Amino acid sequence: MGEVILTMKGIDKSFPGVHALDHVDLEVRRGEVHALMGENGAGKSTLMKVLTGIYSKDAGTITYEGKEVEFHNPREAQEAGIVIVHQELNMMNHLTVAQNIFIGREYMKGFLIDDARMNLEARKLFDQLGIDINPAEKMGNLTVGKQQMCEIAKAISHEAKVIIFDEPSAALTEAEIEELFKIIRDLREKQMGIVYISHRMDEIKVITDRVTVMRDGTYVGTLITKDSTKDDIVNMMVGRVIYEEPKTHSMVAPDAPVVLKVEHLNAGKMVQDISFELRKGEILGFSGLMGAGRTETARAIFGADPKESGDIYINGEKVEINSPQDAVKHGIGYLSEDRKRYGIVVGKTIAENSTLASLEEFIKGRLIDRKKERDATQKYVDRLRTKTPGIDQLVVNLSGGNQQKVVIAKWLVRNCDILIFDEPTRGIDVGAKSEIYHLMTELAAEGKSIIMISSEMPEVLRMSDRIIVMCEGRKTAEIDIADATQEKIMHAATLR
Amino acid sequence: MEKFKSNPLVKTLGFNRIILVGVLILLYLLFSLFSGRVLGAVDIQNVLNSVDFMGFLTIGVMFVIATGGIDFSIGPVMYCAALVAGQLLVVGGLPLWLCLLISILVGLIFGILNGIMVAYMKLPSFISSMASMRIAQGIGSLATKSAGVSWPSTGSANDWYRKLINVNGIPTGLIILLFFAIVCSVILNRTRIGRYILCIGSNREAVRLSGVDTRKWEALAYIICGTLAGIAAIMYVGVNTKVTTAGGDAFNNNAIAACVMGGTSMAGGVASVSGSLIGILIIALLRVGINAMKFSPDWQYIITGIIVALAVYADIRSSQRRR
Repeated sequence: MGEVILTMKGIDKSFPGVHALDHVDLEVRRGEVHALMGENGAGKSTLMKVLTGIYSKDAGTITYEGKEVEFHNPREAQEAGIVIVHQELNMMNHLTVAQNIFIGREYMKGFLIDDARMNLEARKLFDQLGIDINPAEKMGNLTVGKQQMCEIAKAISHEAKVIIFDEPSAALTEAEIEELFKIIRDLREKQMGIVYISHRMDEIKVITDRVTVMRDGTYVGTLITKDSTKDDIVNMMVGRVIYEEPKTHSMVAPDAPVVLKVEHLNAGKMVQDISFELRKGEILGFSGLMGAGRTETARAIFGADPKESGDIYINGEKVEINSPQDAVKHGIGYLSEDRKRYGIVVGKTIAENSTLASLEEFIKGRLIDRKKERDATQKYVDRLRTKTPGIDQLVVNLSGGNQQKVVIAKWLVRNCDILIFDEPTRGIDVGAKSEIYHLMTELAAEGKSIIMISSEMPEVLRMSDRIIVMCEGRKTAEIDIADATQEKIMHAATLR
Repeated sequence: MEKFKSNPLVKTLGFNRIILVGVLILLYLLFSLFSGRVLGAVDIQNVLNSVDFMGFLTIGVMFVIATGGIDFSIGPVMYCAALVAGQLLVVGGLPLWLCLLISILVGLIFGILNGIMVAYMKLPSFISSMASMRIAQGIGSLATKSAGVSWPSTGSANDWYRKLINVNGIPTGLIILLFFAIVCSVILNRTRIGRYILCIGSNREAVRLSGVDTRKWEALAYIICGTLAGIAAIMYVGVNTKVTTAGGDAFNNNAIAACVMGGTSMAGGVASVSGSLIGILIIALLRVGINAMKFSPDWQYIITGIIVALAVYADIRSSQRRR
């Protein structure tokens, strides 16, 4: 490790209603690979966005190469030598490799683009990195791993001194990861400062020199990788005080029947061989980090996305679910993590949304029975304590928490017995949150069975009777609430 | 203005509709003033002559626009239905009642075709309706060997279909149109079909994830549209008797423009039958009025174009506020 090249000190950033970064520090040296770790929402991405000028900071200083700096946009950061290799690759598939690398700063010959020169320059870059890619190849023909190499080459072509890798290995195969690490070590040799964001504990141990851990927007600490154990890092990631009382034991009767059984479910990379059982009156928590495949699993069960194989049993009987229609017919309701896109019909009223999944029950003659519809809607507005001036209110005018209640009402009107709640409290305020918690507890007590996908550890520990942990498309643990700890869950969530 | 908007009477009638009716009356007065004569019975009959069939096209395409789609085939499908049924009547000698039924059937078949292409095959409605537009024009032309067809004129045998438009000065055409308009308004606002169509236009994925067969209901919008185009064909020949081949597409734009003027959102999810009808009245009045002022009919295109641009702009502005 060389001298310090980049110091972020006391970085503070608030968004309306959220204190995203609370006096966070980060120091990167030349010739170092520095891991940045933390749960979802810990603030890693926000910190990097402040660094590269996508967000402006509220307080704190950034010192780069001995001078205090403030970048106003990613381009300024890039010109100074700080670049991000994004997890989502920003490549244009129909352009060649070289055209992608030099996009926006093409070599010109008069009015024409000088492709030959660009291919030559790209070749030089690849030679530097010791990788073999044809610069004239169309980007779309490369594997994800090779595309990422191109992204790195592009970063270096900007004469980068600090490179930030945002979960670079997520989409790569083992062999590609090996190649990536070779390049990263090479860059370290060349005295670049490297920030490496990843959830994979094993990789952190292999490739990084130091680890900075963040939690809930705060700086927890920095460790020397080789002197610390995986447990040290996990403990720093989860060591928060839990204000809400976690559940101590399962509320499910020991003889409660299994209402939903999923066996060997496969659906693409994100859902691999998932099996589990859900009992009557149970809240089954699905925990894991971003990209663990929980939403994909839920959508495959619900028939929203196609599945490759696997069996689903409801009340002991095998069922075919190939569309949401089938799922709803079998009494499954799905509350999406993305309420606006998949949950509510924003331009319509509360009444219209509440009866959307069960409209056939509100038909008298050939017409919609308005009175019956209004009565049912009003019943659930009262029961869920949805705050609204009236049931003819458009849902677009409701707060996030109340919109969520409308979606829940939709499934209760339908009288679904199995409810999949995907991040039920995302983006809603604290008061509404605890109302949703109460409601879920009530529903479970009434004999409804709930699958709750949640990225918030306190929520998982407070609500679940049993917890399933997923990591990269696989089920990595199944823990009874009586034995569950943050550490156990985090271990299972970072198994790779 | 806010006070006017919150007046209970204004609320029931709809603020936009009141404005539209105001525009209609204003146009009537302007045309009367500038053409130097009060627009009278002849002019109103002129307006109705096009409204009778355009109304069906407009209400039909409104259902499609409500889903967030578009149908550019309605005019040509109307022509195709009139040509095929007319040929079977005049040359084939089939009974008139059967030919009228066949006309509706042709519209229905094109509706099913469009519905399958958009809802089940997932073709963009813009493209698929262009395709069916050409198919309709081709079939119409083939059926009449490119000659077009003249339905029986008043006084000849099989002329009773003309009574669908006018019986001794009673505007039966308008009455029939209003009857269908009321039925369609009930379908749109009070039945599952309408509810699902509007919700699909507003947020298709949310409707699908509520366990609704979105494909079926979306296809149904195109089928309603096609069927109404088949009925429009009957009204068209009831007024004009003569149908040429390879035309009809000029009507698409007027029908779509009338919907948009009447408050139907091009983004889907919002639609109004009464608004669409007032919209088509405005367009018809523009044509007749400009004619009365002895301006070139080309002015009608220009003014309609400007109105459509303004109406769509207003729609985009108001839907931004909704979101």
